[in-house]
Amino acid sequence: MVNLNGIPPKNGRQYYLGLGLEGSANKLGVGIIKHPVLPRHDNSDLSHECDAEILANIRDTYITPPGEGFLPRDTARHHRNWAVRLVRRALDEAKIDGPADIDVICFTKGPGMGAPLHSVVVVARTLSLLWDVPLVGVNHCVGHIEMGREITKAENPVVLYVSGGNTQAIAYSENRYRIFGETLDIAIGNCLDRFARTLKIPNEPSPGYNIEQLAKQCKNKERLVELPYTVKGMDLSMSGILGYVESLAADLFSHNTRNKLLFDPETKEQIVTVEDICYSLQENLFAMLVEITERAMAHVNSNQVLIVGGVGCNVRLQEMMAQMCHERSNGQVHATDERFCIDNGVMIAQAGLLQYRMGGAVKDLSETVVTQKFRTDEVYVAWRE
Amino acid sequence: MSQLSAVYRAPDVELKEFQIDASKQHYNTTNGATTGPSAYVLQAGQIDVDKPSEGRKNAQGEFTYLSKLRMHLTGLQDDLNEYLTQRMEQAKNKKLKQADEARIKAEIENLLDGGDDEDDEQ
Repeated sequence: MVNLNGIPPKNGRQYYLGLGLEGSANKLGVGIIKHPVLPRHDNSDLSHECDAEILANIRDTYITPPGEGFLPRDTARHHRNWAVRLVRRALDEAKIDGPADIDVICFTKGPGMGAPLHSVVVVARTLSLLWDVPLVGVNHCVGHIEMGREITKAENPVVLYVSGGNTQAIAYSENRYRIFGETLDIAIGNCLDRFARTLKIPNEPSPGYNIEQLAKQCKNKERLVELPYTVKGMDLSMSGILGYVESLAADLFSHNTRNKLLFDPETKEQIVTVEDICYSLQENLFAMLVEITERAMAHVNSNQVLIVGGVGCNVRLQEMMAQMCHERSNGQVHATDERFCIDNGVMIAQAGLLQYRMGGAVKDLSETVVTQKFRTDEVYVAWRE
Repeated sequence: MSQLSAVYRAPDVELKEFQIDASKQHYNTTNGATTGPSAYVLQAGQIDVDKPSEGRKNAQGEFTYLSKLRMHLTGLQDDLNEYLTQRMEQAKNKKLKQADEARIKAEIENLLDGGDDEDDEQ
């Protein structure tokens, strides 16, 4: 059993206020969250029932032109130039007149891209010194998990964390989020985004969303384009699939009629469209994810899945996972909508506030150094039994 | 209003000071010359929507203290960036020059000390 009320809120209030700053990739998020002080948290295991109230969830995304990815220098510039405006907007929306009232400022300590992480932590440190508010460094992956748990109220599910930078199957055990399976090379969101770049589809609102829309328009759903299926035990590998699907796209655009998969060998007619390739790519990758998730579920004897991370917004992935869970002792899939799936500041505030309530505030600024590599199981989850 | 300045020290260079001249346009904008988007992104057709916010004016129509500070800092940052880039270019040219000199020296030595043994005997 755990006591979440060990550290009281400021000024004798009956609620905590947390400000979260997220900027590990191309989304800059500022979130403000309120946790009431509840007697049921004195001695229990209810960190997924905080009755959290979201006072502000502001986000701005750095979008590159079609065919381009985002590199650290420009992403960091975007974060630096927008941070103050977004924090001000968040404070206005949350109707907080005195920012010194905030209990804790939470920032993404890692993992992620170096320069953007650094831009955001400089803002966090400055605000902390300006307002005399303690700081907490949060693991990005743990932020996603805690937000998923709070929104869906799932009781100890297997977590599938899928985004542009991470692909992990996680289960909780003895105060740590243990990684059961993961990608051996690139993340699934990275695979989809890079394929979107070869197709030169727009990056607004996100390349993955546009691939999902193209896949929905596929007219040949019964006839899948055969792609490599690379599940390796509990893990999966996607760089080979990406390479192959990029060569297919190149053949399609250059009208290489020698490719028998794409063009009829006799009539030289095109038999596979870009929509077909998008659809097959999704089906293939998502089937691999479902397999490794099912394997993790078998290991821990669970029938609940929580999907978090940007790729979790994909409706087809949620459908496939739901089908598997349902066939597996009538299980359930939990997912959140794009407000919380995609990187945001509120998830950092949620995880950070839980960490703060368990005494995890930073004692010295030297502990606020960000890091590009930060494994999910490095975090000691003190707020769970 | 305190005057901002910067001082650069390195083992091979004497003190280099950077001062702000508030009358120059360079120090009166928040949009720095060296802190814009990368060239490759502009070439790909990017329209820059991530510029820093402009300076704010008070009721009398003058820039506020913090806005002036930001604009001066932007100009100072540009000066520093240009100076450091220059030093990097010099270091690069020096390296290239040294590599060139080493290559010429090796060729001369080869000629004088007889690289004939390596030629094919036909």
